[in-house]
Amino acid sequence: MTEHVTAWLGAYHDGELQGRRLRQVEAHLAQCETCRAELESLRALAGLLQESPAAEGLTPPERFVAQVGLRLPRRPTRPAWQRGLEIGWRLVPLGLVGAWAFLQAVFVVAGLVLLALRLGAGGDLIAGLLPASPQAFWLLDLLSLSDAGLRDVGRVTLELWEGGGPLGWGFALNLVSSAVIGLLYCSWLATWWARRRHRAGGQTHTV
Amino acid sequence: MSSRSAPPTETEIDLITRAQRGDRGAFGELVRCHREGVINVVYRMCGDANLAEDAAQEAFIRAWQHLPSYRPRSPFRNWVYRIATNVALDALRRERETVDIDALPLVASGQGPEAAVEGMERGERVRQAVLALPPASRAVLVLREYEGLSYREIADTLGVPMGTVMSRLNYARNRLRESLAPYMEVV
Repeated sequence: MTEHVTAWLGAYHDGELQGRRLRQVEAHLAQCETCRAELESLRALAGLLQESPAAEGLTPPERFVAQVGLRLPRRPTRPAWQRGLEIGWRLVPLGLVGAWAFLQAVFVVAGLVLLALRLGAGGDLIAGLLPASPQAFWLLDLLSLSDAGLRDVGRVTLELWEGGGPLGWGFALNLVSSAVIGLLYCSWLATWWARRRHRAGGQTHTV
Repeated sequence: MSSRSAPPTETEIDLITRAQRGDRGAFGELVRCHREGVINVVYRMCGDANLAEDAAQEAFIRAWQHLPSYRPRSPFRNWVYRIATNVALDALRRERETVDIDALPLVASGQGPEAAVEGMERGERVRQAVLALPPASRAVLVLREYEGLSYREIADTLGVPMGTVMSRLNYARNRLRESLAPYMEVV
């Protein structure tokens, strides 16, 4: 005789076994008195459990529904963190476009400043950019005193900006940052599409 | 068993969608549909009809509050049962000091005098034996024996692996067969 199948009898009784395991249990039961008695005992227990009375003296359904209705908050509320997360998620593309626009602006301004430095008009350009205030005049004095130093700084920066390949570090940096932003946007788009499909699929799933 | 696994219905999907948008009437319909099952689960878990009704109401209120985050990947009934089981466990924890299982009221029966007394006693012993099980095993047993959920559905409802469902059910049944041995011989 094969080994007892006591551990599987509950699942067999509940109709949860399939395939090889089911055949194995059935074959064993056909020849094992002990396991048949065990199965019978499980069936007896199931019958006995149904003798336990259901709850009685309950509130009528209509009244129960009304009582629940009275206790409901005004609208279903989502946890604040979940709402915040959802709003943040929806704002991601806007943030990415903003980040891209900001970087482009930085690159344009940086390019203009460096061009001015190359042409030796650093002090004048900065003077044009600064507002009229006592602090600005003080800064302009300082710049006019250290004009040579400023040119040196501009020269070094220009070398760095234009070095690093045929198109310069500036262009490479712009390209890389744009690519990263583009990649983030594509990932967001893919996730949005996947979530939308998942929800659409979920609506037709079993309820 | 009070309710078998219900097939998906367009009506229920529609009710859920409307309730998720805040339609209280649609939610009321869902409450009406699942009231009996939820009360039964809670009652079998905690053994007191009044406590079960309060806990069932609490379960539906929690369901309403969390409805926007419900995704119909699993049946709505299982989702509500999960909430109901948690509410029942919370209620049990709160009531543990005040409710003595042996002192719970006997449930009235409409049978003849002798059979009624015998039936009542047996039914009552069964109820007490179920209530004496550890909560985790009791929840699995209630969902299987009284609600007829499959192992997969129980696993989804309670958020435990299928193997755990099987082992808890085996444990619960073995304990019950021991404690109810005198009654099983006469069934």
